[in-house]
Amino acid sequence: MSNADCAMVAIRGLNKWYGDHHVLRGVDLDVAAGERVVVLGPSGSGKSTLIRCINGLEAYEEGELDIAGVGRLAGAKAVEQSRRLTGMVFQGFNLFPHLTILENCVLAPVQVAKRDPNVVREEAMALLAKVRISDQAHKYPAQLSGGQQQRAAIARALAMQPKVMLFDEPTSALDPEMVGEVLDVMTALAASGMTMVVVTHEMGFAREVADRVVFMDAGEIVEIAPPAAFFDAPRQTRARDFVRRVR
Amino acid sequence: MSPPRPRPRQPLAQRMIDALRRRPLDAAAALAVLIMAAWIAPGLMRWAIIDATWTGETKAACTEGGACWAIVTSRWRQVLAGFYPKDHLWRVAAAALVLLAGVAPLLRRRTSGLALATAPAAVLLAYGVMEGAGVLPRAPTDYWGGFFLNLFIGLGASIFALPLGIALALGRTSRLPVVKGLCVAFIEVIRGSPLIVLLFAAAVVAPLFTPAGMTLDKLTRAMIVIILFEAAYMAEAVRGGLAGVPAGQVEAARALGLDRWRTLVFVVLPQALRIATPALVNSFIGLFKDTTLIYVIGVLDITGVLRNAVTDFAWQGLETEAYVFVAAVFWVFCFGLSRWSASLERRLSIPGKSA
Ligand SMILES: Nc1ncnc2c1ncn2[C@@H]1O[C@H](COP(=O)(O)OP(=O)(O)OP(=O)(O)O)[C@@H](O)[C@H]1O
Ligand SMILES: [Mg+2]
Repeated sequence: MSNADCAMVAIRGLNKWYGDHHVLRGVDLDVAAGERVVVLGPSGSGKSTLIRCINGLEAYEEGELDIAGVGRLAGAKAVEQSRRLTGMVFQGFNLFPHLTILENCVLAPVQVAKRDPNVVREEAMALLAKVRISDQAHKYPAQLSGGQQQRAAIARALAMQPKVMLFDEPTSALDPEMVGEVLDVMTALAASGMTMVVVTHEMGFAREVADRVVFMDAGEIVEIAPPAAFFDAPRQTRARDFVRRVR
Repeated sequence: MSPPRPRPRQPLAQRMIDALRRRPLDAAAALAVLIMAAWIAPGLMRWAIIDATWTGETKAACTEGGACWAIVTSRWRQVLAGFYPKDHLWRVAAAALVLLAGVAPLLRRRTSGLALATAPAAVLLAYGVMEGAGVLPRAPTDYWGGFFLNLFIGLGASIFALPLGIALALGRTSRLPVVKGLCVAFIEVIRGSPLIVLLFAAAVVAPLFTPAGMTLDKLTRAMIVIILFEAAYMAEAVRGGLAGVPAGQVEAARALGLDRWRTLVFVVLPQALRIATPALVNSFIGLFKDTTLIYVIGVLDITGVLRNAVTDFAWQGLETEAYVFVAAVFWVFCFGLSRWSASLERRLSIPGKSA
């Protein structure tokens, strides 16, 4: 098997509880290198929890989770590695308010990856150009619009050169007129071949960009299908109800 | 598109009148304060300055009817430096300069990080210059005193109490129950005890328990007590700051691969300490005033020197002058500190964020 066929993210029998609340119930999911997966589902279905388990922000009680093969390492080392291999974009941006946009992007590559600050700074400027906010590099997050902040957050995550990008409702906190600029950046990122797992309520984005749609409900994956098939002819009742509601 | 216009500005007098009209209660209060000031100021001026006597060897020199500042000027050396050997007063001046130089980097945003190293170094160096080491003859802390002592204890204790306070605040949030419990217990015990009692304990009780070979002079013991005391208060200020940092900040740092330590140093503390700055400055000011309590261990700070002076037969009955002078000195320093902190807050504030 060549590297490209190899699953970038491999999840087997993942179970997670918050206290006694069973929030992930036997989740199985493979994401191939370069694949774009959009995760859909009603509120509280476990989408955020799943994505947070993937990058190690949340621990899980049962199952296996493997990113580019490192999950086979055990324990804390694996969590550390999977954080290195994944980039995360949050609904609330979570930029560091006391650092400029450029400093936000440079912090982790220099402090964690121990790379040469000059090189990192140049790369970060290139990334900021890619998300079209080079002119904001020396401003502070609070001086930017929501859309600009989210694009800066994407650049910050990319600066760690992740193999997988995770997005948790990246446009839900934005004013409608700013949603497009963030989705454009994400679409361009998808076109560049990045492996992406995206939780979103933007059905247009799911239709156009996703290779597969994963539909979750009550902690389970109910249906996995290409977007056209999922939106036009969902097989499961729960998926059908959901599609009818969001359309 | 219409061309930009300069923002309209009204004359100052007009703005003041408008402000008073909008807030009649404020206007009334301002008027009351002005009347009080006009009533008190002339008498105070006459007493403190116009009719005052500035020099003299005994109370008898004061014949003008105003304040008798001679009680202060006749012993200015003690007021500044206690009973430190006369020929070595330059060491006191040098030590004071070293202390101020140590905290000077805080005045510029660019250099403020340097203070982390320069401030503690300055305290140790000042101690060395005063106490004597190498070519400098020894002058044990028993001889230290005067306002220098207030400055030394105030600055020195602040500088060591802050990191300890941060450590305690972090310990309080620890997941290890033992660490957390110890920190909470320490903070609560200290906060529940008057400083003066702790100082007394350090002076009188502690020597009974320390092993024979180990002796710490009483000023060092007092300094340690003050550091621990202030650290407990600063811990609470820092805890408030830590609570003000949104959880998403830690998550973002973790997601970028920063470990606990780096998350703390680069993400959490810079934000928490900014939030805690007003409360911390408040405790610095409190600490500075608390330095006058060290009289209980028998060391003569500025208050002690002047309290001694008024019991001196030649100067009896001049309590008012003595305490007004001490109050004025402390007021000048504390007011300066609070102005400086206001400018510090402004300089540390995060651009684009309101308040
Ligand atoms: N920290 C937590 N402690 C306890 N329960 C939690 C916690 N976080 C989430 N849950 C619960 O876990 C379940 C899944 O939550 P999750 O946030 O993953 O849902 P979601 O699909 O992302 O929903 P949404 O679309 O509203 O973001 C919910 O029932 C939620 O109440
Ligand atoms: Mg969610």
